[in-house]
Amino acid sequence: MSRWTKFLIAVILGAAGALFYGWVVNPVEYVDTAPDSLRFDYKTDYVLMVAEAYQVENSLGLAARRLALLGSDPPLETVTQAVNTATQIGYDLADLALMRSLAEALQTWNPNQEAPAP
Amino acid sequence: MREENRGPWYLLTGLVLGVAAGLVFAWVISPVRYVDTAPTSLRDDFKSQYRALIAVAYLYSGDLQRARVRLNTLGQANPAGELALQAQVALAEGRPESEVQALTLLSAALSGQAAQIDLTGTPQANQTPQPSPNLTPTALVVQATTAVVEAANATSTSGATRVRGTPTFTPTPLPSRTPTLTPGADFVLQDQKLVCDLTSGEALIQVEVLDAARQPVPGIEIIVRWDGGEDHFFTGLHPQISLGYADFAMTPGVTYQVQLASGGQTVPDLVVTECEGDPGRYWGNWRLEFVQP
Repeated sequence: MSRWTKFLIAVILGAAGALFYGWVVNPVEYVDTAPDSLRFDYKTDYVLMVAEAYQVENSLGLAARRLALLGSDPPLETVTQAVNTATQIGYDLADLALMRSLAEALQTWNPNQEAPAP
Repeated sequence: MREENRGPWYLLTGLVLGVAAGLVFAWVISPVRYVDTAPTSLRDDFKSQYRALIAVAYLYSGDLQRARVRLNTLGQANPAGELALQAQVALAEGRPESEVQALTLLSAALSGQAAQIDLTGTPQANQTPQPSPNLTPTALVVQATTAVVEAANATSTSGATRVRGTPTFTPTPLPSRTPTLTPGADFVLQDQKLVCDLTSGEALIQVEVLDAARQPVPGIEIIVRWDGGEDHFFTGLHPQISLGYADFAMTPGVTYQVQLASGGQTVPDLVVTECEGDPGRYWGNWRLEFVQP
């Protein structure tokens, strides 16, 4: 076996060792993540919570800020996606109505008219 | 001869290069992207926001079981304690009163001394639940279709994103909505007395709010006013004393007025008053008891 072959085998062994260390010995731990990384069903429930909170607080600005934590999509799009997912999953009609109500409110929402957050 | 003198060092060099290449690939070329995570992995400040949102949502639905399921996703050992602590922090940071009240109410409800709410957010305790006929049981998300489950798995194993240790798909059950209650009568001042208690260490206005069954009521907002100032505080933030208890530290020389935010009687002319006892003179506490008739 030539020296180059042995050298390449050593490289491969090193890479394999690094991957074994990274994936098995010391694998990635999910800590300090942001809401935009949540799984889709958690995101959907989060949007439902925002819709429920909106019924109490009646503040579209606050709802939009909460929805912004789920990603860079416009709030209306985030809610629309959540409604679609909720429909697929089989959410209760009352919950779907809440989310649709929030979506309808967001259609007319203008962030430029929003008062500054405290 | 010259090659033999090099020895096996080239193998070690190859090994090091391999490790370096593996790490560069893992950290630079294709770094980990967090997708499909659960709320338990959220950063602490996001967890606080998530917890507050759960509490405000609970204010709307009054569904304790749903709130409990949601809190469980945060992986906290003592959700009621976390909520009470967050309520105190929120109060200190001047967060919206609705948020403080929601956190307090949910904490109290989870503590077993349920502060039940109506749809207007007015706390009522220990009343007989009245089923709401227009609410239907909420379907469980556990009924998720196979297609959705497959979609979740497909998403998590997609080549577009590199995911290791992807959480398994465990649909979150959303329990049915619980009955809501109607508001009761305003609280009235039942008792006002000076309490000489050396252990408090400062002059306090101590408020205890009880319902008609003389059970403590958390989440009640109290307004204290003095010449040129006003502050708000809530019952339920000292569950180790009583869920209906709240206190406010007085300053000597200042005259205070106390009133529940829901209205009713104002308690005027509360000033720091001295007590006399074994160790000498010390500040006493004003104890006010509000009861729902």
